[in-house]
Amino acid sequence: MADALLRAGGGTVVSLLVAPATGDSSDAGQLGIDAPNFQQLPLSPAIFRKVRVAMQEGQLAQYELLISASAVQQQVSALQLTSADALFDTSAGVEINGAQFLIESRSVSESLGQIYLYRLLLREAHALLQTAG
Amino acid sequence: MENAKDTFYVTLRNRLAALNPNRVITLRGVQRPGILAEEAEAVVAQMPADVFVLRWTALNADVQLPYALAQMMCEIHYTTGGTQANQGLDRGRALEEMDAELLAILTPNCAQKMNFTQTPSVAMGTKVFWNEPQFSPLTTQRERLTRIAKIAVLAFQEQGEL
Repeated sequence: MADALLRAGGGTVVSLLVAPATGDSSDAGQLGIDAPNFQQLPLSPAIFRKVRVAMQEGQLAQYELLISASAVQQQVSALQLTSADALFDTSAGVEINGAQFLIESRSVSESLGQIYLYRLLLREAHALLQTAG
Repeated sequence: MENAKDTFYVTLRNRLAALNPNRVITLRGVQRPGILAEEAEAVVAQMPADVFVLRWTALNADVQLPYALAQMMCEIHYTTGGTQANQGLDRGRALEEMDAELLAILTPNCAQKMNFTQTPSVAMGTKVFWNEPQFSPLTTQRERLTRIAKIAVLAFQEQGEL
């Protein structure tokens, strides 16, 4: 049901950025020289939208991401993690339409004890977008 | 200056690994010595406990010398809540242990400057050296004890070095 509602509401595919299966243990990897090569885990259906708040000077825009619990559970199973919390704890952010966002907070919606939706509060990452060429 | 910062971090990391192999952290899927450069890792809501976190702050340069002498301030943050086995009641001892470890890995107070952008890393012509640490008063936030040690790290800017 949640999946159907998310699709009907303009469901999209987003990518959760998590550490690669084989980590970089080199000096360059710890010094910010090597790219971290995060894995991109697709999560779908999801809805991405701007949070409506009264903006103040210097305040960063915030965004909300609603993700289907079934999509999250698929990735938890694929990575053989113990829980969705473990998945989000190890993630470095979310990529949506080529733009990177940092996860500020997360919450869940439940029905009859079953989680059906994850809600992530995001803000834009400040990392410079570099284009090829 | 980046080479000096990299050298300082790698020197402390290697010394910590030799001094206390049990102080480790798992970051981005890799277990490594419990020290990290904050600016080279993903942002986190709260500093990890029981590891040393290097944060670079002030920068001064003396350009009246044949080679510019850069002085960079490094803040080393560390925090602990003790161990679960002792229900955190050993947090004072845990912090004291980290104080002692930090003092130990800062000695001797110099290292050969290395360029880590090349593989394997290349030794440069000068050394990186640093002053004695200035320890801040302990701050207590509920069960977490935190201290910051400030260390002035100095290095000459070699020709062609960024």
